[in-house]
Amino acid sequence: MALELNRRYLKYFFEPVAESFEEGFWEAVKQKKLVFQRCKECGEFLHPPRPMCHRCHSYDLEWVKSSGKGSIYSWVVFTREVNPLYRVPFEVVLVEMEEKGVRFISNMAEGNPEDLYFGMPVEVVFVDINDEWPLPMFKPVK
Amino acid sequence: MTIKNKACIVGIGSTEFSRASGRSEIHMAVDAAMAACRDAGLKPEEIDGAVKFGTAGQTSTEFTTETDVARCLGIPNLRYFAEAPWGGGACCATILHAALAVSAGMANYVLCFRSLKPASGTVRYGRPANIPIDSHWSYTMPFGFASPTSWVAMFTRRWMYETGATNEQLGWVAIVCRENAAVNPRAIFYGRPITMEDYFNSPMLCDPFRMHDTCLENDGAVALIVTTPERAKDLRQKPAYITSAAMATGWDSYCMTSYYREKIGIPEMEEVGKELWRQSGLTPKDIDVAQFYAAFTSLVPMQMEALGFVGVGEGGPFCQGGDRIRPTGELPINTSGGMLSESYIHGMNMIAEGMRQIRGTSTTQIKDVENVLVTGGLGVPTSALILSQGR
Ligand SMILES: [Zn+2]
Repeated sequence: MALELNRRYLKYFFEPVAESFEEGFWEAVKQKKLVFQRCKECGEFLHPPRPMCHRCHSYDLEWVKSSGKGSIYSWVVFTREVNPLYRVPFEVVLVEMEEKGVRFISNMAEGNPEDLYFGMPVEVVFVDINDEWPLPMFKPVK
Repeated sequence: MTIKNKACIVGIGSTEFSRASGRSEIHMAVDAAMAACRDAGLKPEEIDGAVKFGTAGQTSTEFTTETDVARCLGIPNLRYFAEAPWGGGACCATILHAALAVSAGMANYVLCFRSLKPASGTVRYGRPANIPIDSHWSYTMPFGFASPTSWVAMFTRRWMYETGATNEQLGWVAIVCRENAAVNPRAIFYGRPITMEDYFNSPMLCDPFRMHDTCLENDGAVALIVTTPERAKDLRQKPAYITSAAMATGWDSYCMTSYYREKIGIPEMEEVGKELWRQSGLTPKDIDVAQFYAAFTSLVPMQMEALGFVGVGEGGPFCQGGDRIRPTGELPINTSGGMLSESYIHGMNMIAEGMRQIRGTSTTQIKDVENVLVTGGLGVPTSALILSQGR
């Protein structure tokens, strides 16, 4: 199962847009790397990214490569089509990443909806959507 | 200092609720505003303040500005105008703004309104064409995560896991709301109750939500008029006093996708609750009937927990069997059928129903009502009100 695209409807792909302080995240995605923003001052991870650390108000932020590993925090299964690009059924998962305080919305690139469970270990895998955009998705850790 | 007893709602106006209104949002807003003026016993030109809705960036017609309405009603001048954003989260906030305005002397009579046409208009929530270009959506939309049903389903599943709540318990919320709508001639689902079998047989839209877990999509408008208690004495109707009114964003708030904070449920409503009880000096036990914003069934037991009606993990069991939330139960809910079964007007129809409970004119009237709770939309910054019989 997992996510399957109906590429006839690629025009309905929502191309990520970024504010100035988010560009590092999406540029890394284009290179098939998952990075998260971290405050150099206090170590807080900031995701989605922001212009300043919300804990200590430092502007000294960096992009840190993610381990790509996490666990399922919650999920839904689309069974009724909303956007024709995405063939139903497909899963949207909220992954709690190993990086403390980071959660990430994505899809399952492998596996079946009925096999998902809370705390299930998953790891990132990049899936090409179109010529420009790969997206970080997840697969079960074998 | 609080807002308690400094303002009251004195007029309710509504269009019919339908699947095809045959007229524009502005037209319906004008119809509802005129009905509210007649109900209150006011001339439209006496209105001198207005509060409108905002959503998270859709199309301009949907916004139906206060000037659109003022022009059509022949209002000579609005000396107070404001917008309460965040879709359903705004509903009680419009009244809060109006109460602030009249109690500070910024306006005498403030019109709060919402007009929606999702059933037959061009703006339909959750369709790909309507996605606003705003960078925070980049973390959800590219993954096909593109409907309010799915966004609320995400935090609902986590809440069900943490509390042990079941789909059957959610089914009871749907059933009780349909029972209330079944005796309400205004309701889209007038005369059409459902059974638990109907609930489980309704199509799965986005697991864990079936069709009967989700709200209506219909056309209609509701308008309400707020003034001071002194001015209310000269008007036609018994006023509904504003005992408390609150808004909250909570920590790390996004539009519908606040998945990055410690709790992904509805912490905004916990914040709203603290403020409601502080301002009013009341406790959940003092609430005789609640109009819980329920675009989705789970939001009813989740709000019961967030506002302290029950403990964490007790919301689901409270709804089991339906008796405790029925009109004869400990906490009657959504007596018009609410947004699951009466009409989806971003919560404004639920404020109107709260007023009917104070006036004694509901189709499912609760006995001896002193205090009514009305809440705003969840998953977004939100608001709530307690309406009372007053002094
Ligand atoms: Zn910091």
